[in-house]
Amino acid sequence: MNFIDTFRTSSTAISANKVRAALTMLGVIIGVFAVVMMVALGQGAQNFITDQFEQLGSNLIFVSPGKSGVGRDPAEALTRNKLDDKHVDLIKTHANENISALSAWVSTGSTVVHKNKSYFASVSGLDYNGNEVMNYEIDKGRFLIRSEVKSKAKVAVIGKLVSEELFGQSSPIGESIKMDNNSYKVIGTFKEKGQNYDNGVIIPYTSAKSTFSIKNLSGIVIKLKEGAPVEVSMNQIKRAVSRDLNKDDFSVLSQQDILGSIQEILGMLTLAIGGIAGISLLVGGIGIMNIMLVSVTERTREIGLRKAVGATPFNIASQFLIESVLISFGGGSIGIILAFIANFAAQSFIRTEIPIWAIALAFGFSVGVGILFGTYPAIKAAKKDPIEALRYE
Amino acid sequence: MAAKSVINLNKVSKKYEMGEEEFYALKDVSLKINKGEFVAIIGPSGSGKSTLMHIIGLLDTPTKGQVLLKGKDISKYTETELALARNKEIGFVFQSFNLLQRTSTLDNVELPLKYAKVKKKDRIKTATEMLQLVGLGDRLHNKSNELSGGQKQRVAIARALVNDPSIILADEPTGNLDTKTGDEIIKLFKKLNKMGKTIVIVTHDEDLAKIAKKRITISDGLVVK
Repeated sequence: MNFIDTFRTSSTAISANKVRAALTMLGVIIGVFAVVMMVALGQGAQNFITDQFEQLGSNLIFVSPGKSGVGRDPAEALTRNKLDDKHVDLIKTHANENISALSAWVSTGSTVVHKNKSYFASVSGLDYNGNEVMNYEIDKGRFLIRSEVKSKAKVAVIGKLVSEELFGQSSPIGESIKMDNNSYKVIGTFKEKGQNYDNGVIIPYTSAKSTFSIKNLSGIVIKLKEGAPVEVSMNQIKRAVSRDLNKDDFSVLSQQDILGSIQEILGMLTLAIGGIAGISLLVGGIGIMNIMLVSVTERTREIGLRKAVGATPFNIASQFLIESVLISFGGGSIGIILAFIANFAAQSFIRTEIPIWAIALAFGFSVGVGILFGTYPAIKAAKKDPIEALRYE
Repeated sequence: MAAKSVINLNKVSKKYEMGEEEFYALKDVSLKINKGEFVAIIGPSGSGKSTLMHIIGLLDTPTKGQVLLKGKDISKYTETELALARNKEIGFVFQSFNLLQRTSTLDNVELPLKYAKVKKKDRIKTATEMLQLVGLGDRLHNKSNELSGGQKQRVAIARALVNDPSIILADEPTGNLDTKTGDEIIKLFKKLNKMGKTIVIVTHDEDLAKIAKKRITISDGLVVK
């Protein structure tokens, strides 16, 4: 029997038991759907973060305390933090060549209160040119000035979300907000830029240190000149800071380094949840095997007849294997179509993206599941003794 | 004349083992079926005639002895080789017809041709001819469950004929039919034999066996007559 005839035989057998086939497919549909959606969510998150980083502007370099900024124990970096103002000066003095702007950075979080309203914001202490370094755009008012930083002035520039939460539609400029019982005057607001920026409050880093009793810097953010060589500049900065600190006490990271680490972590997370979703695909496969075994038993006489008129064991095995692959492939296809629909529907409130490789993987997996779980029933069918099979009632 | 023999059994034994016990379903059976013969194998149930039929039908191989199919020893054939030989050389007719459910008569008759890898166009042509031969030329597209018992058996006979096999092997072909329909099926077998087909009927029914020109009686695994 050639392949096309075998294929027809198998598809006829499936359509003879439509409800059963559909229910069996359901397992694979759910499995493939889950895998593709999980990967889509992970991919969406990765893309989101990449975009956020790109909004920061390219050619940024971070000097952070501790051996390596991302993926290390953050407590270690904090307790052993030796980064201070003098390292900013060291960089300014000894590595100025490629630097366009730099700013000390102190990061914390605080409840921000205005009258009876409060909001938990991420608070960053920056230097007067922090807006240039971080690519902040002022909406109303102005950014920090040099003298305010020097005099530890209690002034703040707030993000869109903070402004809306505390002041609603009215202008916050000139109003006061309270953080840790210190009163700050709002001198400006930022343009909308994305979640991570919009819920931020920027104050002079000197004020941040005193208000929140922080001794050291969370980091130094450096913006390189356009087209400056990143590796060379990083080495210059490393050398400058090394004049005072051991090489284990700080690390110099490019934006790409940090993005890479985050991407790596997210990628692993995506694989992990995708893998967990894959378990449901496995369960779907077991469902196929179960039904195929029932089907082989039910059709014992048919198998006997086919063998009597000349079907070889290979013919019989192919017939049943194609049947299970058709079920799993059909389920896989439907699962992917559903995932596309869900992906489209989800776009309005969450960022998801189905990568091509996930589709290929889901198709491959579903066919693989059909082969894996169809083989045993197929072999069982092929091995049936025609005499016994013809006698079977 | 050896060349004319289709099936030649030479001291064939078949032993079954059930746990500790073993028993012979066939003991040193030798027989010969020649081309164009109409043979009845008769014997009560448990006599070994089913085993004999399975061996003649290439569904089983003997424990001992030789089975020659058109002069070729097939007793050491693998399952696949046996399947291919069955496809070419044996046409089965069963007591309970064994048609594929919810499948058209044409598709049922085409089945052996599919396994023989015959092209679709040729399959339809041959299968149609065979259905016309058994008197079902007007029932090509009826589903098997829409047919009467007699019609079903005719489809089965057409299916047995379609690959132009060396032997038509019929196992109690009238067992599930009423007398009148059974007689029609017998007439059909006679007609086919006249056309030169080799027919072997396996039965416990003496009346049915009478129509055969040659009778082989089997009892307790031995050919007694």
